[in-house]
Amino acid sequence: MNILKSVIYKREATVSFFLIGIFILVGIVNPDFLTLTSIDLISQNSILYIFLATGMTFVLLTGNIDVSVGGILGLCGAIIATLVRDGANPIFSLLLVLLLGSLFGLINGLGVAIAGIPSIIMTLGTLGILRGMIVVYTGGKWVENLPDYFKNPSSQMLFDALNVYMLITLLIIIPLQIYISKSKRGRYFSAVGDNYNGAVLVGIPVKKITILSFVLSGLFAALAGSVYASQIGFIMNSTGVGIEMIAIASCVLGGVSLSGGIGSVAGASLGAVIMTTITSALVYLKVDASWNNAISGMLLITIVVSDVLIHRYTAERAKKIRLAAHVENMEIGQ
Amino acid sequence: MSNLNINMKNLRRALLSWDTFLLVIILLEVLIFGLINPKFWRIGLLLNSIDDFLIIGVVALSMTFVIITGGIDISAGSMIGLSSVVTGLLWQVYGMNIWLAAFFAILSGILCGMLNGFLVSYLDIQAMVVTLGTSFLFSGIALVLMRFAGVSAYEGISGFPQSFKSLMSGHIIPGLPNSIFILIILVLISLVLLSKSKYGRYVILTGINQNAAIYSGINTRIIKMSAYMLVGMSSAFSGILLSSYLNSSRSDFGAETTLSIITAVVLGGTLITGGKGSVIGTLLATFVLGFMKFGLQMARVPTQYTNIPTGVLLIIASLIGALSGNSYFRSRLKLVFNRPKKSVNNFEKKL
Amino acid sequence: MKKSILFVLVVSLVFSVAVFANGAGDSGKDAADIEVVFIPKLTGNMFFESANVGAQDIAAKVGFTCTYDGSPNASVADQVQIINSAVARGVDAISISSLTPDGLNDALKKAQDNGIKVVTWDSDVDPMYRELYVNQGTPEILGKLLVDMAADQMTDSQKASAKFAFFYSSPTVTDQNAWVEYAKVYIGENYPGWELLTTEYGEQDAQKSFQIGQSILDTYSDLDAILCPDSTALPGMAEAARRANLTKDDIIITGFATPSSMREYLKDNTIEAFGLWDCGLQGAMGAYLAYWLALGNTFSVGDSIDIPGIGSVKVESNDIQGYKNAPKDTGIVLLPERVVFTTANVDDYNF
Repeated sequence: MNILKSVIYKREATVSFFLIGIFILVGIVNPDFLTLTSIDLISQNSILYIFLATGMTFVLLTGNIDVSVGGILGLCGAIIATLVRDGANPIFSLLLVLLLGSLFGLINGLGVAIAGIPSIIMTLGTLGILRGMIVVYTGGKWVENLPDYFKNPSSQMLFDALNVYMLITLLIIIPLQIYISKSKRGRYFSAVGDNYNGAVLVGIPVKKITILSFVLSGLFAALAGSVYASQIGFIMNSTGVGIEMIAIASCVLGGVSLSGGIGSVAGASLGAVIMTTITSALVYLKVDASWNNAISGMLLITIVVSDVLIHRYTAERAKKIRLAAHVENMEIGQ
Repeated sequence: MSNLNINMKNLRRALLSWDTFLLVIILLEVLIFGLINPKFWRIGLLLNSIDDFLIIGVVALSMTFVIITGGIDISAGSMIGLSSVVTGLLWQVYGMNIWLAAFFAILSGILCGMLNGFLVSYLDIQAMVVTLGTSFLFSGIALVLMRFAGVSAYEGISGFPQSFKSLMSGHIIPGLPNSIFILIILVLISLVLLSKSKYGRYVILTGINQNAAIYSGINTRIIKMSAYMLVGMSSAFSGILLSSYLNSSRSDFGAETTLSIITAVVLGGTLITGGKGSVIGTLLATFVLGFMKFGLQMARVPTQYTNIPTGVLLIIASLIGALSGNSYFRSRLKLVFNRPKKSVNNFEKKL
Repeated sequence: MKKSILFVLVVSLVFSVAVFANGAGDSGKDAADIEVVFIPKLTGNMFFESANVGAQDIAAKVGFTCTYDGSPNASVADQVQIINSAVARGVDAISISSLTPDGLNDALKKAQDNGIKVVTWDSDVDPMYRELYVNQGTPEILGKLLVDMAADQMTDSQKASAKFAFFYSSPTVTDQNAWVEYAKVYIGENYPGWELLTTEYGEQDAQKSFQIGQSILDTYSDLDAILCPDSTALPGMAEAARRANLTKDDIIITGFATPSSMREYLKDNTIEAFGLWDCGLQGAMGAYLAYWLALGNTFSVGDSIDIPGIGSVKVESNDIQGYKNAPKDTGIVLLPERVVFTTANVDDYNF
């Protein structure tokens, strides 16, 4: 019973319930939604959002924010697409692009940690620069006609059931989740966000952790950009515009607090899956597409409100139970 | 006690000097862009360029309040579009007087702000996600309203009466565009609200430490909600201004302005974590960004590249602020620069 | 310390501006001194970039300056600002593809009052505010083309009772909605047995278009044809079909997009045909005609104008687009033909 309770209290559990809830609700309206095909297409499309949300989690945990991930995704996606289109080795291009993404993240991190620039200003600045750089780099044109050997891996299935990219994603996310929640080093991130001064006093290398969080965010954004290029097959100048908001929303849905200290990679990934599910659900619901925005907005608000209310309710109940137990103990003690 | 006074002096000095710094940037921009293209120095052109960033300034002024309370509102862009649609629809489809329609548009903005405020302040939900959700909701509603009224969303509504158009295109004082007056009046109102009134003080206190404010007897919930209502109202006003300026109503007006609005507020010296902010700073930052864009266009930099110099400016300005010891930037890093050992020594010295 | 930092700031700003600036323009009436500002609906879109390539080519050939200036957002307010800056700079002519049928009227009027010639291409404004419009086809022509491309691939039984869907960018984009509206009318008259299952929007976002494409294929598995008159939606839909292992024999997918983005889908049989017009040609015509007018030339309806490298084009009356009461000295130039791309001819084009 206690295990059940401790699971329910976790944000990740409520996020999973919401995800399942959405599936069931839409499935009632349109049973096609519950087939392997649709679950497959949603999970594949959510991969790049999962990566973005994961990287963003590190930054949010330390109490910062990174709105430049859309720019990093776009520029790195454009670079890897251009390189591969012109015949470069895809593995080499991927490594190069990951390095670049980490570099952009490093710049963000240095600005925030060393120079003391508030993260929102710093990343707003780099966002502007990156968006402009995409135009300069691509000459305003799309990057398209990518070779098949680059696009095909995105649709490879293992045992006809699991998409290869999805497998790789899980192989990355699960160890990260364990690292962040169990290992000493991993917990530094939440420590920095939860109580900055306290972390300093305890001896945590706060500047290094802050910089590392931005580097990871950049790295994952570059990874997401590569996945984008491989799955979709072309990169436009406007690729990634507005995607940082989706990444942040995914994190918050998944229980990551914007003021830092609380959250997990698993929750953020589930949040990313929810955001992706909403996009498809709107089609499966067979509603007039003019309603899409209004419905997405209402869904998002409903989920977030319900989530908060549920947790408040359970927290209140937990408090009451603890208080009752305490009073009982006092009376017994007497 | 003397520590507190010194901190207050530092605070005031810090804020003051950041505003001055922004002013210096504006003057530098005018100088540099004028040197590149002397036409930039034509006062008429410069003043008229304000028309193009007025809507950002109008919303940024009230966004300052929201960010001071520790929140954020990214649905402002959608509210601009919604109010434009409300104005146009009420006027064209229901034959309402245009000014009455505008009034209802402002009302709709206040209602939207109330929704935002309620969700953030009474239900205690993270502002960024709530307003992201409401941004979809409001833009969706704007679209649906157009559909229901039988107006094609891609053509929009147009042909407003001349009196309405003259809101933006008229000249109350010949030679000066109306947008200057609108801006000045709004700045004065915001300044009085924030710095001179009890309301403003409550807003700041709520942002500095919400619990302390509650214990001091401030109804922080109403304060926070009212800030969102202010943003709703000014977004609606912006939508009306835009409809007047472009002589048309479209549901997608304002959609791209949200990031610029936030940029203007944070560049103006308002802490994103709340508790500190300046209306004058926001105003100056709006001009910094607005003149930057106009100046770059006058220098024949294609608009698709203008966010590079703007981004560079943002970073360099903040860098200078941080390096010159401005306490705005140091506020979170106080302890880092005073290692524990040292402060223990100081304490011993005091003893 | 502060002074040297300020110096660095000034230098970096000037540097980043100088890197992208082209120096101040100068308006003389010499051919080489004529500056045409070429304004797309938005930048970064293959269609408009191709148009610009055409414009730049003809500008280089003839010897006038053609400045490409556009916003990365599809924003009416941004287009107005670009027009205002162009007027402030004193350019000679504006060649623009407008986002809205009438939101730019005031800005264009200001331009005309300043002696600037206005030409539109791809997407028109009120004829009162421009002199010529380079038209790729009325909504009737393009709506019909969209439907015919699909119908041509259908068997007779399908033509009698096909199930189809529309998939394009958004309900607020002017052209695409105009074409779809007419397509519906055309279908109602000629293929009354067809059933419209759904209309979906990809918001010009490649990933969304891809995911929604996949969702459409799964939800409406009995679709016969999907019409995608949007350059992002069509490749997204094609990729979704290919991923689902569907070929042109399983489902008819067609629409408007650039050959470079769709070539591979033609070659691997995912689709059979799609259409467009030569955007480079359209861009070249738009730019050249603006230059030609800026030189001081005039025309009447029915005249032919010679465009170097392209040939002779005829000025039609505004009536063909349905305008009543257009000013006498304005007209429309029609693009010679639309192109339907198939495996036979797609390699002849390189845009």
